[in-house]
Amino acid sequence: MRVYLLRRLLHIVPTVLMITLVVFVMMRSVPGDPVVALLGDAYTEEDAVKVREVYGLDKPVLVQYVIWLGKLVRGDWGASILSGRPVLQDVLVRLPVTLELILLSMAIALAIAIPAALIGALRQNTWADYTATSVAMIGVSIPEFFIGVLLLLVFSFGLNGFLPSSGWVYLPGTCPMMVCGVSLWGNVQHVLMPAIALGVGRAAILTRLLRSSMLEVIRSEYVTTARAKGLSERPVVLKHALKNALIPTVTVMGLQVGFLIGGAIVVETLFAMPGLGTFGIDAIIARDYQQVQGFALITAFAFVVINLLVDLTYTFLDPRIRYA
Amino acid sequence: MTKPIRGGSLQEAELPRPASVAWTAPAVRSESPFAEGLRRLRRSHTAVVGAAIVAVLLVVAIFADVLAPYSPSTNDQTTTFARPSWDHPLGTDQMGRDMLSRVIHGTRISLLIGVSSVLLALFLGVPIGMIAGYYGGRIDGLLMRVMDLILAFPIYLLAIILMVIFTPTAGLIGTMKVTGAIAIVRIPIYARLVRGSVLSIKEKEFVEACRALGVRDPWILLRHVLPNCLAPIIVTTTLGIATSIIVEATLSFLGLGTQPPTPSWGWDLKANVAFIQANLWLSLFPGLAIFVTVLGFNLFGDGLRDALDPRLK
Repeated sequence: MRVYLLRRLLHIVPTVLMITLVVFVMMRSVPGDPVVALLGDAYTEEDAVKVREVYGLDKPVLVQYVIWLGKLVRGDWGASILSGRPVLQDVLVRLPVTLELILLSMAIALAIAIPAALIGALRQNTWADYTATSVAMIGVSIPEFFIGVLLLLVFSFGLNGFLPSSGWVYLPGTCPMMVCGVSLWGNVQHVLMPAIALGVGRAAILTRLLRSSMLEVIRSEYVTTARAKGLSERPVVLKHALKNALIPTVTVMGLQVGFLIGGAIVVETLFAMPGLGTFGIDAIIARDYQQVQGFALITAFAFVVINLLVDLTYTFLDPRIRYA
Repeated sequence: MTKPIRGGSLQEAELPRPASVAWTAPAVRSESPFAEGLRRLRRSHTAVVGAAIVAVLLVVAIFADVLAPYSPSTNDQTTTFARPSWDHPLGTDQMGRDMLSRVIHGTRISLLIGVSSVLLALFLGVPIGMIAGYYGGRIDGLLMRVMDLILAFPIYLLAIILMVIFTPTAGLIGTMKVTGAIAIVRIPIYARLVRGSVLSIKEKEFVEACRALGVRDPWILLRHVLPNCLAPIIVTTTLGIATSIIVEATLSFLGLGTQPPTPSWGWDLKANVAFIQANLWLSLFPGLAIFVTVLGFNLFGDGLRDALDPRLK
C-alpha cells in the first residue's frame, strides 16, 4: 500500500507537467497576445517587440516553458502581464471561494442522492421510485446556469431579494486579503444559490447511478444471507448493501470532476463570484499567459489528486481491493 | 442467449444431404437482434416520449424558416423588451428581436452542433478504438496514450482553450468551430469504448475463423467486429448528443460559442440575464429550450439502453 501510494504520488508530477505544457503551447498558438491588450491604443510594432523582450515572450515556446517551470520550482508562479500582480497571490485569494462552492455542492449532491437512491431502490416500481427517477431525469437534463437563473428569479428578484444575486462574503477567519467582507450569515447567503445550482445536476447523476447499483447489490446472495441471519433491515441496507453500491458511484464522482470545474466556471460567472472559475475564464479570454498557467496548474493538480483520492476510497469501501 | 454466428462461409449446402428425414423441423425464423431491439424500444414509454421530443425538435429545426414568424437577427428599435403578446408570443429582447423566432432558429444551431460533434467524434474515435484494440501492441500504446492525454484534461478547460484558439465567430463557420472543439474533447470516449469491446470480440471463434479463411483485416473489422460492438456505441452516441448540447450551451453562455447574430440558446440566456429582473421571460425560454432538448435525447438514450443492452444499466 505504501509503495502504491508513493508511486501514485510520483505519478502526479508527470501528469501535471503534461497538462501545463499542453496548455502552455496551446495558449501561445492563440491568435493575438497579451501585449496587444497591454499597449492598447498606444500600440506600435516597436514597443510590442520591446515589451515581448521584457517578458521573454520572444523566446521559443519550449524555452519559455522551461523558464516558467524553473521559477515554479522556486515557488514563483510568475506575475500577470496585464495587472502585474503575482499569480500565486491571486490564486490563493480565489481558492477558498471555489473550494467552498465545490465542497458544499458535493455535500448537497450526496445529501439528495443517497436518500433518493435508497428510496428508489428499496421501493422499486412504486410511486416514490417513479418520482425519484423522474426528478433525477429532469435534474440531469438541466444545465447548471439555467438552474442558477431559476434560483435568481425566485430568491433574488422574487422574495424581496432574500438572497444576493452576486458577489461574495468570506467565512470568518478565511479572509485572504487585508480587507474583505466577513460574516457567517453573509457567506451562507452568497454560497447557497451557486452551490445548489452546481449540486443539483450532480445529485441527479449520482441518484441514477446509485439506484441502479443498489438494485443490483440488494439482490445479491450476501444480502440475503445478512437478512437470513436475522439482521434488521437498517444495517443490511446501510452497512452491507450501500457500502458496496457506492463503489461505482465514487468512480463517477471522480469522473465528474472535469465537469465540476466547468460548472464552477459557469456558476461563478453567473453569480459574479470572485473564485478560481472566473479567474480562469477571464485569464484565458484576456490571453494573460501567466494567469492561465497558474489556473491550469491548480486545476490539473486538483484533478489528479481527486482521482487519487477516488482510488484510495475503494480500499475503504471494499477491503478486498488492495493496491500492492 | 446464443448469438447467431455470421460471417462464416463454410456452407452446409456443400455437405451431403440425407436422402430423407422422418420429419422436418418447422422453419422458425429467429428474430434479428435489431428487430428484437426495436420491439423492446417501442414498449418503453421513456424511449417513445424521448423519440417524440426529438422528432418534434427535428421538424422545428428543418422548417425553422417557415415556422419562425420573424427573422431571428433583425433588430427593431421600436419594440425592445416587448412583453409576450399575440404579435410576439415570447416577447422581444433588448434589440427588439422576436424571442420565439430566436428560440426556433436556436434549435437548428443546437441540434446541428449536438449531432455533428458527436458524429465527428464517432468517425474519428471508432476507427482509433478498433485499430488500437485489434492490433494491440505498439499502435495500441501510442493511440491510447494520445487519448489519455485528452482525457487527462478537465473537459471544459480543454474545450474553452480550443474555442479561444479557434476564435469564435458567427454563422456556419462559427458553428463548425464549436463542433470541432466539442468533437475533439469527446473522441477518447468512443475510442476507449470501442477498444474495450474489440478486445473481447477479437478473441471469439468467428473472428479466428475469418482469419483462417484469409479474410483481410479491414473487412473483418467492418463486417464482423463493428456490428458486434454497435449496441454500446449507439447508446453512448444518443446520450452523448445530450451532453454535447449542454457543452455547446455552456460554451455559448461563456461567450465562446457561435457568435451573434447567429441565434444560440446559451448566448441568449446569458445576454438576457442582466434584464431578467424586469423581463423574466427573456432567459426563461432559451433555458427551457435547452432543457427540453437535452431531456428528449436523455429519455431516448435511456430507452435505447434498456432495449439494446440491458447489461449496460
